[in-house]
Amino acid sequence: VTARRVNRFVSDLLRGRRPKRFRVEEHEAAELRAAITLRAARQGAGTPREEFVTDLRRRLADHVASQQLPGAQSEDARAPDTDGQVPDTHHAGTPGSGAPDSGTAAPPGTLTPDTRTPDTGTYGAGEHIPAPIPFRGRGELSRRRMVATTGIAAGAAAVVGAGADHLLNGRPAGAELAQADDPQTLEPNVGQWRTVAASADLPEGGAAGFDLGTVAGFVARQGGAVEAVSAMCTHLGCRLALNAPARRLDCPCHNTSFALDGELLRHQLPSPPPPLPKFHVRESNGTVQVFAPPEV
Amino acid sequence: LTQTRLRLVGDDAYPDWEAVYQDNVDRVYAMMFAKVGNRADAEDLTAEVFLAALGPLRVSASVGEVRAYLSATARTVLAGHWRRHYGREVTTLAEMPDLPAPAAVDEDAPNPSASAIAEASDLLAGLPEKYGQVLRLRFLQGYSVRDTATALSITVANAKVLQHRALRRAAQLIEEATQ
Repeated sequence: VTARRVNRFVSDLLRGRRPKRFRVEEHEAAELRAAITLRAARQGAGTPREEFVTDLRRRLADHVASQQLPGAQSEDARAPDTDGQVPDTHHAGTPGSGAPDSGTAAPPGTLTPDTRTPDTGTYGAGEHIPAPIPFRGRGELSRRRMVATTGIAAGAAAVVGAGADHLLNGRPAGAELAQADDPQTLEPNVGQWRTVAASADLPEGGAAGFDLGTVAGFVARQGGAVEAVSAMCTHLGCRLALNAPARRLDCPCHNTSFALDGELLRHQLPSPPPPLPKFHVRESNGTVQVFAPPEV
Repeated sequence: LTQTRLRLVGDDAYPDWEAVYQDNVDRVYAMMFAKVGNRADAEDLTAEVFLAALGPLRVSASVGEVRAYLSATARTVLAGHWRRHYGREVTTLAEMPDLPAPAAVDEDAPNPSASAIAEASDLLAGLPEKYGQVLRLRFLQGYSVRDTATALSITVANAKVLQHRALRRAAQLIEEATQ
């Protein structure tokens, strides 16, 4: 039994999967440690995905906004707690609380303008603090990396986006949930979290349509995670209809169908249309929200 | 990596939390990956560190203080991860592994990725040649078992056994080193 679960842990690491949890015995620990040490030395292993870095930035902006933490103010008298005690994120965070959607507020992550500006080197102390701090070291290399990891990486990014609140509740979303070749996720230049359903109305296996004026789509909860996809067929833009019993989205024009996660299920076209674009989605205060352009 | 990097010194402060994030996210992620060996956990733990640290952080704290606090938070978060999911701390982050010198924080200073590579090299150097080869191919080069077998001119079954024995031997080295 011991050998089997250690082997499974090792093979998960080698396949780039999150290892299964199990109760580790003392004599097993060193082998896990050896595997981790070796796997962590692979080229590029310590470099985070661009999508992850961008997405976490957005989640943190949300978190800051919801707690109304002082951004750059220094009135906050609390000193950094350096005794190693970490505030319990499982209870401290009340995702989205007290952060009413205020009209066309800047989208999360844009407390400062988009930071992917050219690096400007140093910044001077003193009178002028530039708002956008350039992303360091994210140029050619990371773009190439992004291309190389399109697919699984993009799928995981969508789930991570959906999982912010799960994380705050101590249940990090499983990155393995969505690994299909992933279409683009909508990143509007100006967007906001807009409520599309009550969480209670979207039980496991449930799906619902929404129309926000600027965009329309469907949200569905599968495997605990909520996903949102566009309601427009990627062939010629006909409006998809929810076929709830069959758990799919049907195009009225050419008999094309998509799964609730946006994957193409069937078509009769000369070439397959791409999967449906996705929305960033989150749950906050008992509501399901997607990141979408504001009303016009 | 060749791009110009911000040069912050230890007693400078960050202008805002985004600067804290952007200056430290790579480092925290690399620290975590070196200790869990997979992306999914490394990403979740990195997120946990920043979510936990943002609240208590006083933005006027110096760069050195912020980094030390993030390191302390990372240690606690990692320990929690292992205890919660595996009942035992399989890996730990050393006390202040890379606390910057107070005078200057240099981006060329050893980073966690470099130390992860050094640690693996040490481990491989202590192994018989065949063992080192199979582990290098499987873990560092990402070869499949089949490709590894081909590269070493052995059967697939033998490659599996060899990998298994090599890892056991590496584990023994680690145990001996910590005793």
